[in-house]
Amino acid sequence: MNTKLKEKIGKIFFGTSAVICIIAVVAIFVFMLIKSIPALNKIGFFQFVTGEVWAPDRLDKLDAPTLAGSYGIFKMIVSTLAATVGALLVGGSLGYFTAVFIAFYCPKKLKKIFSSVINLLAGIPSVVYGFFGIVFLLPLLAKIAPNNGSGLLATSLILGIMIMPTIVSLSVTSFDAVPRNFYEGALAIGATHTQAVFGVMTRAARSGVTASLVLGIGRALGETMAVVMVAGNSVAYPQSLFNSFRVMTANIVMEMGYAGEVQQGALVATGVILLFFVMLVNVVFSIISKKAVSKISSQQSKKSEKKTKTSVANSKMRKIAATLQDARQRVRYLLNTPNIGKVASIGAGVLSAVALVLVIGFILVKGTPFLIQNPHLLIGKYQFDSEQVTILPSIVTTLMTVFLSLIIAIPIGIGTAIFLNEYAPKKSWLVKVIKGAIDILNGVPSIVYGLFGMITFVALIKGTGSILAGSLTVSIMLLPTIVRSTQESLKSVEGGLREGSFALGAGKLRTIFSVVLPSAMPGIVSAIILSMGRVISESAPFIYTMGSVISAMPNSYLDSNATLAVALYRLSGEGWYVNEAYATAVVLIIVVLVLNLFAELIAGRLNRRLKGEKR
Amino acid sequence: MKKDKKTIGLGQNLSVEGANLWYGDFQALKNINIEIPAKQVTAFIGPSGCGKSTFLKCFNRMNDLVEGCKINGKFLMGDVDIYGKIDVNELRKNVGMVFQKPNPFPMTIYDNIAFGPRTFGITSRAKLDEIVEKSLRQAAMWDELKDRLRKSALGLSGGQQQRLCIARSLAANPQILLMDEPTSALDPISTGKIEELMEELKRDLTVVIVTHNMQQAVRIADKTAFFLLGELIEYGDTDDIFTSPTKEQTERYITGRFG
Repeated sequence: MNTKLKEKIGKIFFGTSAVICIIAVVAIFVFMLIKSIPALNKIGFFQFVTGEVWAPDRLDKLDAPTLAGSYGIFKMIVSTLAATVGALLVGGSLGYFTAVFIAFYCPKKLKKIFSSVINLLAGIPSVVYGFFGIVFLLPLLAKIAPNNGSGLLATSLILGIMIMPTIVSLSVTSFDAVPRNFYEGALAIGATHTQAVFGVMTRAARSGVTASLVLGIGRALGETMAVVMVAGNSVAYPQSLFNSFRVMTANIVMEMGYAGEVQQGALVATGVILLFFVMLVNVVFSIISKKAVSKISSQQSKKSEKKTKTSVANSKMRKIAATLQDARQRVRYLLNTPNIGKVASIGAGVLSAVALVLVIGFILVKGTPFLIQNPHLLIGKYQFDSEQVTILPSIVTTLMTVFLSLIIAIPIGIGTAIFLNEYAPKKSWLVKVIKGAIDILNGVPSIVYGLFGMITFVALIKGTGSILAGSLTVSIMLLPTIVRSTQESLKSVEGGLREGSFALGAGKLRTIFSVVLPSAMPGIVSAIILSMGRVISESAPFIYTMGSVISAMPNSYLDSNATLAVALYRLSGEGWYVNEAYATAVVLIIVVLVLNLFAELIAGRLNRRLKGEKR
Repeated sequence: MKKDKKTIGLGQNLSVEGANLWYGDFQALKNINIEIPAKQVTAFIGPSGCGKSTFLKCFNRMNDLVEGCKINGKFLMGDVDIYGKIDVNELRKNVGMVFQKPNPFPMTIYDNIAFGPRTFGITSRAKLDEIVEKSLRQAAMWDELKDRLRKSALGLSGGQQQRLCIARSLAANPQILLMDEPTSALDPISTGKIEELMEELKRDLTVVIVTHNMQQAVRIADKTAFFLLGELIEYGDTDDIFTSPTKEQTERYITGRFG
C-alpha cells in the first residue's frame, strides 16, 4: 500500500478513537438526562432533591395524572455525604500517615515491597471488601452494637480501607517529589529527622496530599457494592454509628431491577445527582493537582537553572531560607511536643499492613479448605435442579467479558493516546476537550456506567442483559485508564528517538509503530493487565447490563450470566452459600493478585530488555 | 523497487540564499547565504544559541517538526529546492543526521541499522545483511560488533552508540551527513574515533558538522562558518578562519574572549 495513504488512514484511525472518547462522555450525559428529565418533571426537581420520603410505587406511570408513591432522596444524599466523610476520616488519616511512613520511615529495602503491597490492596475487588465486611467486621461490631453491626461505622471502616491505597500512592509520589535540599536544609539547622519530615517535607507536599484526599473522596462517593453489603440499606438518616442507612449508589443498585416507569427515571436521576457530586469533586481535584504540579515543576526548574543563573539561585536560596525560618519556629514547637507524628506514621504503616493481611488472610484461610474439598465448585457442571453451586460458568463469563472489552477498549484507548501525544498540536482546544472527556470518564462512578449501559446497550441489543452489553459498558469504563497510562508512557519516550527515526526518512506511522510504541510497551502492557484486573473486580456495572444470576455455561455473547465478582455478591447475599462465597472470594483474590504481580513483573522485564540488560 | 525511480537526482553540494527562520516571534536565523561544497567537511561554530543547530536542521527539514516554525529563503541541494515539491521522507533518506545525544532505538543492533533500508521497502534478508555489514564496516565497527548483532543496542557504551547511529544513517545511503555536536557527550577516545571516521566518510559524502569545540573544527573541517546571534558572520577555508579572520567578532570568539 502507498505510504501516504497509510499515513492518512493511521491519522484518521487515531483521530476517530479520540472522538469516540468525546462521544462516550456526551452520550452518558445525554442518555442519563433523557431518561431522568421526564420523571423529574413529574416529581418536581425540588421535591426530588429535598423530599425526605422515598416510597416508590411500581405502578406509577409518566402519563398518569398523579403519583401514588413519593420520590425524595434527601436522606440518601445526607447518608452519602456522611459515609464519605467517615471514609475520609478513616482512610485519610490511615493513608496519610502510611504514606509518611513509606516515604520517610520505611527502610529503603522495604519501601518498594510496601508500596507494591499497598497497590495490591487497591486491586482487590470491592465485593471482596464488602464480603469481608459481612463475614468479619459486622459480627465483630455486633458485639458492641445494638444491631447486627451494619451502619455508618462499618461503612466508614470498609470504605476507608478501600480508599486508603489511592491516598497512599498519590501522597508518596508527592512526598518523593519534594526537593531533597529542603530536607538537608532542615537538618542543617539542627532539626531531627522527624522534625524535618513534619516541619518541612510534609508541608512542602501539602497540595499533592490534598489532591490525593480529594481523589479518595471521589472514590468513596461512587463506591457501590461494598457499601451495599455493610450499610443495611434502609432509607434513613445515619443517626448513630449503628443504624441501617442507604446511600445513593445503593438506592440505584437495590431497586433498578424491578423499578416501574417513574421509579426508574427517579433512579437514573439519583445517578445524575451522584454524577453531579463526583464532577464537583473532580473539578476541585484538577484545580488542586494542577497547582501541585506547577509548584513542583517550578521548584524543579529553578533547581536546573541554578547552574547557569546565579540570580535565580539567589532567589531560590532566599526561598529556602524563608522556609527554614518558618521551619525553625515549627522545630521549636515540635521539640516540646512528643513525637506524635513519628508514632502515628509507624503505627499507620503497621496498621495498613495488618489490614491487608487481615482482609486477604481471613478469606484465604476460611475459603481455601472448602475450595480444595469441593472441586465441583470450580470445575463442576451446572445443573438447574442441583443444590451444588458451580462457578465454572461465571469463570467462563468473566473470561469472555475480559476478552471482548479489552478488544474494544485497547485499540481505542491506545489510538486516543497516540492522537493526543503524537498528532494533536499541544495546547489546542481539541486536546483540551479530549483530555477533559477522559478526566470525566475517569470520574464517573461504576454504577453510573451500569445505568448507562442498561438504558443504551441493553435496550438496543436484546432488551435483557447480555455478556455483549456488559462488555460494551465496561469497555468505556476502561478507556480512561488505558489512555492515561499509554499517554504517560508515550510522554516518557525520549524525543531523540522520534527525531532519529524521522531523520532516517521514516514517516510518522512507521516512527510510531516501530520506535515509539515499542519503547512505551512496558507501561502499556501493565495498563492492559491492570485493566483485566479491573474487569474482573467490577460488579456494579454488570448487574443490570449482563445479569446477576449464576446460570448455565454461556453459549454466546448474547447470553446473560454473572461474572465472578457478581457471583460473589449473589452468593454472599443469599446466606445459603457462605462457604461457596468464601471459595469464590479466594478465587477472585488469587486471580487479581496474580494479575497485579504479573503486571509488575512484565513491566519490569520489558523495561530491562529495553535497556539491554537482558536478552 | 518502485521507490528507485523517485530518487531525487540530488547533488552533494548545498547552497542557501537569503534564509530566515522564526520560532513564533523570535527570529533565529537572519538572512543567511552560504555555499557548502560537495565531499568536504564543513563545520558550523559559534556560541550557544547562535542558530547553528537550527540552521543545520533546515537541510533535512527537521524544523518542520517544531510547532510555530517559519522558514523562508532558498535552500538548494544540487539544483533541487529542498522546500519545493519533494517528499520530505525521501529528502531525509538522502540527508542523514547524527544527533548530539546518541539515540539508538530500543531494538537489536541489527534492527537499528536495518531500520532505514526497511523503511524504504527492502525486505530481502540477504540484501539487509549486506547493507548492515557494509554500514558497520564504513563506521569501522564491524569487527567490534559482528558477534553481537542480535543484542540490544542500548547495551553499548556511549561512544559505540554514537558510532552505531552514524552507521545507521549510512545504511540509508545518504548523499550528505549532518552531525549536530556528535561528540559533545563522548569521552576523548570515542571522539577521536569519530573524527577519524569523518575523514573516511568525506571520500563519499558531504559532511556538515556543528561543533562547540574549536580544536575539533581545526582538526577535521575543510571549511568553517562562524555564527553569532542568528547571523553568519564569516565563512571560508578553516585555515583562513583560524589564522587570519577578517571580522573582529570571529577573532574574539576563536581567541576565547567570549562564548
